[in-house]
Amino acid sequence: MFDFILHVAIIAALNGLLALSLNLQLGYAGLANFGQIALFGAGAYGAALAFSWGFGPFAGLLLGLALVSLLALVFARLGRSLGADYWGIATLSIAEILRTVATNETWLTGGAQGIGGLPQLFGFDLPGTLALAAAALLATYLVLRGVTQSKFGLAVRLLREEPQLAASLGYDLAGLRRRVMLISGVPAGLCGFLYAHYVTFVGPDQLFASETFFIWAMVVIGGLANHSGAVLGAVALQILSASIPFAKDALGLTSEYVAAARLTLTGGGLLLFLLLRPQGLLPERIGSVRA
Amino acid sequence: MSQLVFDLVLRTGDVALVAVALSAAYSLVRFPNIATVYYATIGPFLTYVLARVGLAFWLAAALATVAVGVLAVVLNATVFDRLLRSGSAIAMIGSLAVGMLVTAVLLVTAGPDSMRFAFALSPPQDLLGARVTALQLWSMGLSSAALLGFALILFFTDIGRCMRATAANADLARATGIDAHGVIRVITFASGVLAALGGICLSLKGELNILMGPDLILPVFAAAILGGLGNPLGAILGAAVIALTEVIAASTNFGPLLGQAFLFLPVNYIGATSFAILVLALLFRPYGLFVNEVRRV
Repeated sequence: MFDFILHVAIIAALNGLLALSLNLQLGYAGLANFGQIALFGAGAYGAALAFSWGFGPFAGLLLGLALVSLLALVFARLGRSLGADYWGIATLSIAEILRTVATNETWLTGGAQGIGGLPQLFGFDLPGTLALAAAALLATYLVLRGVTQSKFGLAVRLLREEPQLAASLGYDLAGLRRRVMLISGVPAGLCGFLYAHYVTFVGPDQLFASETFFIWAMVVIGGLANHSGAVLGAVALQILSASIPFAKDALGLTSEYVAAARLTLTGGGLLLFLLLRPQGLLPERIGSVRA
Repeated sequence: MSQLVFDLVLRTGDVALVAVALSAAYSLVRFPNIATVYYATIGPFLTYVLARVGLAFWLAAALATVAVGVLAVVLNATVFDRLLRSGSAIAMIGSLAVGMLVTAVLLVTAGPDSMRFAFALSPPQDLLGARVTALQLWSMGLSSAALLGFALILFFTDIGRCMRATAANADLARATGIDAHGVIRVITFASGVLAALGGICLSLKGELNILMGPDLILPVFAAAILGGLGNPLGAILGAAVIALTEVIAASTNFGPLLGQAFLFLPVNYIGATSFAILVLALLFRPYGLFVNEVRRV
């Protein structure tokens, strides 16, 4: 049971990385990325490919970050000519195309079976893995807080609120979007790398669009444009999600209810907060920029 | 050849109704409503349940489509209208959240297994050289009739004129005394009805299961965007382009191009062609094939 709690904590910390990444895009810059899971997938497949070619984890991390940056640039390029809703559809489709490729290019990605047997970074030592994930989460939190409190962070919020004003003040909107995507790609790719080495397996089943919406729910429930909120949302949803199977056993329900409960948690949570408390549990602090 | 054309028309019909529903709703309620594809799942499920109770199929289908239309109006008034004030992307994720709740309800009530309508299966007939089943013909007839009916309403009735006027310039339409809220209710209802009919046509030919909606998202969005979101009849052409690409991708031998005897695209990639078209369309013609000037910021 203690191991299970550690496992939930590790996954919560990893989800926190993804939530922080999406929060920078969605909360601060107003970029509604519906393909967030693809950034995670780039990191995870980077680690897995490097492993299957016989390289060590460090090379895997570098390969993953390279893939993530490439994908982030593609997303940012698409954002140059598209309105927010169109960009959302574009990112969703790219994520689905990448999942299809990962499922079918068996020679490269192992197909639906994925790539297994990656080494755990600390053997099978759960506390060590948790410490690593928590350290990554803390570092990301501090770095992103620094980023959003800088002058760049102010420009990014202006991009969200008044893009035309930002353009008239001489800000390069396309450049800002590109930098936001590149910065937020790093924690997502890092999360993919850590996850791949924690569960020792990478496969296309980890890349379903529903995972993106789970991360969206974390950010919206925790609080858009609030880093602590994103982490809080990730931890809260992970705990709730992990307790669903126990509720199922306690109530004697079938396994369909587990899938349905997870959907209800994500969809219902999103909808309730969007309608009744759109600022989330921890609202954005206006005027919190020091620069 | 005639088999190819027939497949093309059939596939166009699959996507067209739901794409028209999406595009029509977008013309007045300015966000891409993902819940539209879930209306296309609820429609056939309701029909299935009503038909099981003992209603005739056509009556069950009619009741189900009206019910979905009403549901669309209610959801629009209670949920999407409020979300839209925070922006189109927020309304879009909200419509997706509604879709998740729909899937959750269907998962618990209907279960994850596929079902079929209890029609007697007839052997395929030979029609102008193509192999055709009676159900496929029914499905084609139903979707053509629905599309034709919607086009007639849009272009030859007062309410259709009001819809087009409100879509073109909402402020001006209000100033001339058009009841904008009433028009929005009508088009939302029509969008729900069309989407439900689209789902019913789709399930007539095959099975119905809870993944129908999610599987439709990308082809339907691709068709609607190719046709220009907000341009309902453009969506039909968009659907034809998607269908053409899929049929060509499925039946072309790419071997000679690469110096091999036979090389067909793996079956799993055929669905991905519509995603690829979507991304290309967004890159080069984001406002549809038919629009040249207006660009939103």
